[in-house]
Amino acid sequence: MSGTLGGRLLSLIRRPMRAWRHSLLFRTVVIAAGATTLAIVIGTVWATLAIQSDLLGARRDQILADTKRAVDFTQTAVYRQAAPTDRAAVQQLRNSMTDNLATASSTNLILGLPIPGASTADAPASFTLYGSALVESMLSDGLREQVRTRPETQWYQSIALPGEDGRPVPAIVVGQQLEMPNVGVYEVYLAYPLDDVSETVRFVQGALWVMGLSLVVIVGGIVWLVMRSVATPVADVSRASARLAAGDLAARLEVTGENELATLARAFNRMADSLESQIRELAELSLVQQRFVSDVSHELRTPLTTIRLAAGVLHGEREGFDPITARSAELLYDQVARFEVLLADLLEISRYDAGSVELSLEEISMSDVAEQVAESLRQVAWEHDTELHFTGAMGDDVIPMDPRRIRRILRNLVGNAIEHGEMQPIDITVAQNETAVAVGVRDHGLGMRPEDSARVFDRFWRADPSRKRTLGGSGLGLAIALGDARLHGGTIEVWSQLGVGTHFVVTLPRGEQSEMESPIRLEPQEQIEAADGSAAGSATRETLVVRHDQEEGT
Amino acid sequence: MTGRILVVDDDTALAEMIGIVLMGDGFETSFCADGALAVDAWRVQKPDLVLLDLMLPGKDGIEICREIREESGVPIIMLTARSDTTDVVSGLEAGADDYMVKPFNPKELVARIRTRLRPLSPEGGKTLRVADVEIDVVAHEVRRGDESIALTPLEFELLVALASKPQQVFTREQLLEQVWGYHYKADTRLVNVHVQRLRSKVEVDPDNPRVVMTVRGVGYRAGATA
Repeated sequence: MSGTLGGRLLSLIRRPMRAWRHSLLFRTVVIAAGATTLAIVIGTVWATLAIQSDLLGARRDQILADTKRAVDFTQTAVYRQAAPTDRAAVQQLRNSMTDNLATASSTNLILGLPIPGASTADAPASFTLYGSALVESMLSDGLREQVRTRPETQWYQSIALPGEDGRPVPAIVVGQQLEMPNVGVYEVYLAYPLDDVSETVRFVQGALWVMGLSLVVIVGGIVWLVMRSVATPVADVSRASARLAAGDLAARLEVTGENELATLARAFNRMADSLESQIRELAELSLVQQRFVSDVSHELRTPLTTIRLAAGVLHGEREGFDPITARSAELLYDQVARFEVLLADLLEISRYDAGSVELSLEEISMSDVAEQVAESLRQVAWEHDTELHFTGAMGDDVIPMDPRRIRRILRNLVGNAIEHGEMQPIDITVAQNETAVAVGVRDHGLGMRPEDSARVFDRFWRADPSRKRTLGGSGLGLAIALGDARLHGGTIEVWSQLGVGTHFVVTLPRGEQSEMESPIRLEPQEQIEAADGSAAGSATRETLVVRHDQEEGT
Repeated sequence: MTGRILVVDDDTALAEMIGIVLMGDGFETSFCADGALAVDAWRVQKPDLVLLDLMLPGKDGIEICREIREESGVPIIMLTARSDTTDVVSGLEAGADDYMVKPFNPKELVARIRTRLRPLSPEGGKTLRVADVEIDVVAHEVRRGDESIALTPLEFELLVALASKPQQVFTREQLLEQVWGYHYKADTRLVNVHVQRLRSKVEVDPDNPRVVMTVRGVGYRAGATA
């Protein structure tokens, strides 16, 4: 459970992360909404504070004026009356004072306190309007001190009044002195609740927040719409590019309007047009090339057939010719055969160049094919006093292959080995693993210099121009062999050392393997194999195709 | 063995050379260099075998092959310069028995012709049965019930080869050797195309063969006797 929950949480986090990385639209909307939110928060807070202080300032001035008017009015009234002489008069004066204060001011929260030292004993202790919530304990000592010592000035302070529902209500209390002649001096405090101001501020604040939130949503929406109108064509371009890259040459964009996006679409379409026409041109060239190869094939082969038949007839009759004519007939016959091989190889190479080669694949055992090839070259090997050692693969070595081409590769490699093997035995080894099947052809002959072995697959290249050629060959054999191996998705590698010999390894993948590792090591290691005894097991599969017998051979 | 051979090739030098080679081996030859005249030449000469070039002026070799096949099962060997194109398959489908890729050597040419002209030596009895088809080997006749089925000599030979050993599964290579006389690995398309042609004639439903059965991954065998 926790796992799936964790996974869900993770995916909840990952999805936006992914969208952030992959979607320009998402990212822009998030940035725009975020920036707008920040701006609106700052603006709202600032506006709230400004409005609040402005409202409070105005209210405060109004309150101070109100207080001053009330106190002045009351003081004037007090002065106008006769100074009281008895307690009853004092009491009456105090009552009228309270009434005057209440009438002249716009608040009912009134508190009067005699200033000790400046009042007589007759002065009433304190007065307050009936039901007033303002009590002495709400006033700070500092305020009272100021009011007592500086009679000519109004002093005020923010306090909290108990509200109806128990919540404190912000208020301003203003203090001033009020004199009762012959009786004493009072400090008078009038409190004004500010709940109306804070109500207004709260309302304004709420309105601002609502407006801000809707602004965020609106800005996000606008950005989304704008971005979509930009991002959608961009996504279209990227999709069309992907199709084009995948080889769909018909991929085009719809051009609407005259704006920058239309320009982009037009540029893209022009690019695609030019690509398409160039590729078509190349394809046509390739077709022309193939047609040419085919035509050359036909045109050259027909006269070559005539020449070959004629040479064959002359060659068959050479017994009856004089020696010079007979030798000429032989040379003609041999060289026509060589010419034919050369022509066939040239045409094969042209087919690779034109890319017009198709494999006809069959599931066949590599060991069987290699052994057949070794068998077919038995006579040639015998003529060259060379032994052929064949070792089949252990296990399944059946892979899809075009047997005609694989035979051609192996015939070529074994033929070369016989020709350059200096009559030393030649090892033909087949091995397999999970990824590939390989054939190694190892001779112990002359070998090659490293710079030569790097060029063996080049066309018409020969390791040593002065070297005698006994098996003919066009100089294209290895180039064709490599072409054949590559058609199968395989490779041919070569190892060679002067005086030690040469090792060719053909490796073909099993099926559609992209990664393959050759089961045969390129560098020969006879000593190690002999030492660890692993060769003993494979020796059971070893067949000697040709063993040249000294007496019989020469 | 003598035989009369019609060489249809627009390259007169090659045709003449083929004539020289074949004459040396005791064949009689006649020539036709124009595709449009080839079928008429064949009707007049009535040769034992036709060597037919695929690319001809006037009329295409495949078309000539098809027209001759409509009238006769005479052995036809195609001569082609291209072994890897669809030409070979379409030639075989048009009814050619065998093909030779230029440049060929004289021995091979003679061997191919001799194989096609050799008399059929029946093994086993005179009459063979495959599924509901009856083969009279001596009379060269194939019939289903009262209905006679016309086969070319090659198709007949292929059917007899399969029918004479009904227990055996023949690989394509074995059939190539026995019917076409190839002693080395050759093009198995020859077998595939001719089995299709044979089936189209002897099977009631060629898509669901009863006479020439395919053994997957191996080759062909004769169907069980009904």
